[in-house]
Amino acid sequence: MWKYLLEKEFKQFFRNPGLPKMAIAFPVLMMLVFPFAVSMEIRNINLVVVDNNKSTVSAQLIEKCTSSGYFKLIDICQSPEKAQEYMDDNRADAIITIESDFDEETGKGTGLPLGIKVNTVNGTKGSIGAQYIASCIRMFLKEQDTGTAGNSTPTIDISEKYYYNPYMDYKVFMVPALIVIAITMVTGFFPALNIVGEKETGTIEQINVTPVKKTAFIICKLIPYWVIALFILTACLIIAWLVFGYTCHGNLLSLYLFSGLQIIVTAGLGLLISNYSNNAQQAMFIIWFFMMIFMLMSGIFTPIASMPEWAKVITYFNPMRYYADAMRAIFLKGSSPLDVWYDAAGLLAIGTAVVSWAIFSYKKTE
Amino acid sequence: MSTELDTNSSYAMEIRNLTKKFGNFTAVDNISFNVRKGEIFGFLGANGAGKTTAMKILCGLSRPTAGEGTVAGFDINNEQEKIKRHIGYMSQKFALYPDLTVRENIRLFGGIYGLADPEIKAKTNNMLQTLEMENVRDKLAGELPLGWKQKLSFSIALIHGPEIIFLDEPTGGVDPETRRRFWEMIYEASEKGITVFVTTHYMDEAEYCDRVSIMVDGRIEALDSPAALKTKYKATNMDAVFRTIARKAQREE
Repeated sequence: MWKYLLEKEFKQFFRNPGLPKMAIAFPVLMMLVFPFAVSMEIRNINLVVVDNNKSTVSAQLIEKCTSSGYFKLIDICQSPEKAQEYMDDNRADAIITIESDFDEETGKGTGLPLGIKVNTVNGTKGSIGAQYIASCIRMFLKEQDTGTAGNSTPTIDISEKYYYNPYMDYKVFMVPALIVIAITMVTGFFPALNIVGEKETGTIEQINVTPVKKTAFIICKLIPYWVIALFILTACLIIAWLVFGYTCHGNLLSLYLFSGLQIIVTAGLGLLISNYSNNAQQAMFIIWFFMMIFMLMSGIFTPIASMPEWAKVITYFNPMRYYADAMRAIFLKGSSPLDVWYDAAGLLAIGTAVVSWAIFSYKKTE
Repeated sequence: MSTELDTNSSYAMEIRNLTKKFGNFTAVDNISFNVRKGEIFGFLGANGAGKTTAMKILCGLSRPTAGEGTVAGFDINNEQEKIKRHIGYMSQKFALYPDLTVRENIRLFGGIYGLADPEIKAKTNNMLQTLEMENVRDKLAGELPLGWKQKLSFSIALIHGPEIIFLDEPTGGVDPETRRRFWEMIYEASEKGITVFVTTHYMDEAEYCDRVSIMVDGRIEALDSPAALKTKYKATNMDAVFRTIARKAQREE
């Protein structure tokens, strides 16, 4: 019986006008476009300088900032009101105000007559922009110090070393996360549309009136998504290697192991949702709802450690949390499945619950 | 009620006090009837009379609210999966896979009913030949004309040699010639000893049945052979019989 059901599912998948194309387009888009788009490196910060000092020193500072490549100098003006206007119009992301005694005070080691104002409507851009400005000024002061030799300001020199991603390349960090997103989305959406599609065409009734086993029917629906998702994983890994030169630091098989577990969870969830939906629209909305929560609470974009306690509790029910954690650990750090056993345990627990529920909630007799 | 297959029973179905409620609405209201083995049993009624609901219970697709009965010797309350092994069902809506070919549909359902590959192959060839559909064997089922779809659905519902076949408005929307040919197929099945349980809106088709029941507002108002019903209601045809009985209906559709 299994053989015939599997044959049916695969044929239907490949005959679908959209799904096979999606399965190809998804990894390509995910790997070629999104690593650039989701980069947290902030460039083109629009900068306005209020220069009340107008000395060579202040000119040097402005030069230092603009030459870093992160800032775009919009204007140098004299009045703070004018600068504020720029920010209100959303034309400036940051304002540096240089006070009139700037050149005299520099190098004395006392307070620095300098103000930084940052537009934080876009919080990330704002806070990172502020950091960039601060580090520009720090570097500038350091140079000034060496220029006026002998003037010993006590400075603390902090040297940072980044492990597992030495150049803090954002793309390296995002590639495993994007694989996580690609696989979760595909294996969530496709199955959600599956049973509901059979409900809409009425074929489910013809199946329900046969002695087909519920488990066989559901598992046979799950298997093709498994194969497709592992294909997508392979494609993503190959693209990451060819285009960016990123390779997995851990065992490739562990990546497949965790992806396999994740697919059971999301495909099970998709089938579960489609059991409870009457039409494709309903199923789509519900799966969207879950996908949004999964993504935002997965630790992919924001660290879970910085979430409030109640939010942390929610993440324990989020399969993507475990999957993303394991994928990053394996890909970037070379962890073995034993190192991230708790991720496997989390996925297994959620997966068992979801698939059992999917089989249970599929009723052949109303 | 015996749950064992009673081979001595002359009935394919024995239904007692069957009731199905949806909330406050009683779709099927305490109906009882027997269907003899090998007969063509017409199950008539206006739209919304409860025919499809009752039929779904008999097929094991729906659980009755009350009442008991057997279909092919199995209990309608708790042996639904066993019933499904012994019956064929053709719904009023085309329910084969439109994105699989004719041959693939036959193969799938053959496989689901547990037939082996060589058996499926033989049955497929046989079926395509009888249906004169050899030319369209590799065409998607969804692309067939309606009449062909119906014939294919009917043949596939018989693939596992069921004892009873349920046909829910099998000839809805097809032309008179195809309708006639379809009834020839029903007669052939009946001659092989298969019990046929059929719902229809065409009263000329009711005349072809051995016995008919007429449902009104969830109850069976009349059950007899077409000839006996015509005598009883002093009508010349089943159409007049049906109008007389269905007039009693209170329920809005």
